[in-house]
Amino acid sequence: MTQKPQAERNVRKSAPAPAPPPAPSAPAEPRRPRLSMRARSAAWRDQHFYGFFSSLGRLAARPWATALTVLMLGFALAMPLLFWLAFNNARDLSGGLREAREVTVFLKPEIEGKAALDFAADLRKREDVAEVVVRTPEQGLAEFRQLSGFGDALDILKDNPLPNVLVVTPRSVPDGDNPPLVAEIRADARADLVQYDATWRRRLSDILGFGERAVAVIAALLALATLLVIGNTVRMDIQARTEEIAVMQLIGASDGFVRRPFLYSGLWYGLFGGALALIIVIGAEFAIAGPLDRLLASYDHRLALSGLDIVSAVVVIAASSLLGWAGAFLASARHMAAGHPE
Amino acid sequence: MIHFDKVSKRYGAGQDALSEVSFEIDAGEVVFVTGHSGAGKSTLLKLIGLVERPTRGQITVNHAQLSNVRRRGIPQLRRDIGMVFQDHRLLTDRTVFDNVALPMIIAGTSREEIGKRVRAALDKVGLLSKEKSSPTELSAGEQQRVGIARAIVAKPPVIIADEPTGNLDPQLSAEIMNLFAEFGAVGTTVLIASHDLHLIKRIGKRVLILDHGKLIDDYRPAAP
Repeated sequence: MTQKPQAERNVRKSAPAPAPPPAPSAPAEPRRPRLSMRARSAAWRDQHFYGFFSSLGRLAARPWATALTVLMLGFALAMPLLFWLAFNNARDLSGGLREAREVTVFLKPEIEGKAALDFAADLRKREDVAEVVVRTPEQGLAEFRQLSGFGDALDILKDNPLPNVLVVTPRSVPDGDNPPLVAEIRADARADLVQYDATWRRRLSDILGFGERAVAVIAALLALATLLVIGNTVRMDIQARTEEIAVMQLIGASDGFVRRPFLYSGLWYGLFGGALALIIVIGAEFAIAGPLDRLLASYDHRLALSGLDIVSAVVVIAASSLLGWAGAFLASARHMAAGHPE
Repeated sequence: MIHFDKVSKRYGAGQDALSEVSFEIDAGEVVFVTGHSGAGKSTLLKLIGLVERPTRGQITVNHAQLSNVRRRGIPQLRRDIGMVFQDHRLLTDRTVFDNVALPMIIAGTSREEIGKRVRAALDKVGLLSKEKSSPTELSAGEQQRVGIARAIVAKPPVIIADEPTGNLDPQLSAEIMNLFAEFGAVGTTVLIASHDLHLIKRIGKRVLILDHGKLIDDYRPAAP
């Protein structure tokens, strides 16, 4: 930062005043040799080192207060992160369902055996049909018996009440609620009920959209909370150091110099809070890993869960640091006016 | 070096703390400001360091006309003024060395230079051996000398001191005042507010006497 030349420009040397002063003021002369570029960048670096280390020292001087603030921030930031992870996995898992495009055709009870196979053959001839699977009532009953656990109850039935079912897989995912293929099967006299889950898929999509928005809102609220927590912490820190700030301003510290250690403090709070949030999230992932693994094993590992990747982790740390800096900036802005006249 | 031209200062709607004060101090002069409590000594010093702005009149310090110094320019102006306070105002959470180094860190001086200058300043006030101590471990006189070292470390052309010996016993006060008198000899302009007339007389320097905000006397001792 080149505050020096800025400041020097602001100190206008005694300009020719309208009312001439009794003693002629000396012409403007450089009071101090201008610093070289290198010296200035070295000074800039030294001043930042000063802010950097003095802010760390201040945090370390009050380990309990610092730890409490960081803990609070860590949990505040971990919440939206966990929501986001849960949501991401829900979206991934539902991905398979969203892609579901099978059309299930329940045939009328009188369409049996050969007639059902003929209908299947008719459908197979269509260009937009990839595959047709026929499920006979016997297969259906066996499947139902296995999945529902009503085996004994089903034995009571004299006749098999289930119809023949055709599972039609279109060549491409059809558009809209009622694509031509579905409409034509519906129109066919042999079909009793045609199930095509467009509505359900749209509902799932809406649920995911809602989840996404909810996570965003919670994240925004907790980010605001982080900003305020850090802002308030820094504000209290500033109040505790009013005397120090006054002394620094009296011996020529610019606003930037006075403010810098506080901005660094905010940055540290954000950084440590973000790091803690990551640790919490990773800990939570480990805690649920065991039971979740068993659950997924029961699905033959057809589902895979994703944890926090390195890019998200870096983004979280960067964002929380930035929030900390911004909070400190807001808190310090109005305190800098103290110690100046007017 | 310091020039006041019909300067008045009024706080709020009350009486003038200073009224129509004019004087001129040359470079290298050591000048005392005295007067009863509330005569305007502190106000006068505050105007020089731009802690306060005058209500009327013009002040020039070190060739800078203060009415032209805007808010952002104030820090730069203050770096050319070493300030010494009655209660020394040292920062107790850091060492003597760091306290004295602060003005130079603020000014952006290189680290090697800071080390040299801080030790030179501490040597001048006779506290070189205490550089690693905390200000709280020092006696009142030593603390004030650290405050003076902080004021002179950046070699400002102007030093102002507000009751620098207010809390010290007579012997320590005399030591401190003699220290200030020495700075004048090396070309620094020194302005000291004090009500210790006895001590001021002994130093034998120019004295500005304020009474209810008015400059009633500008006493210059005969050249030795």
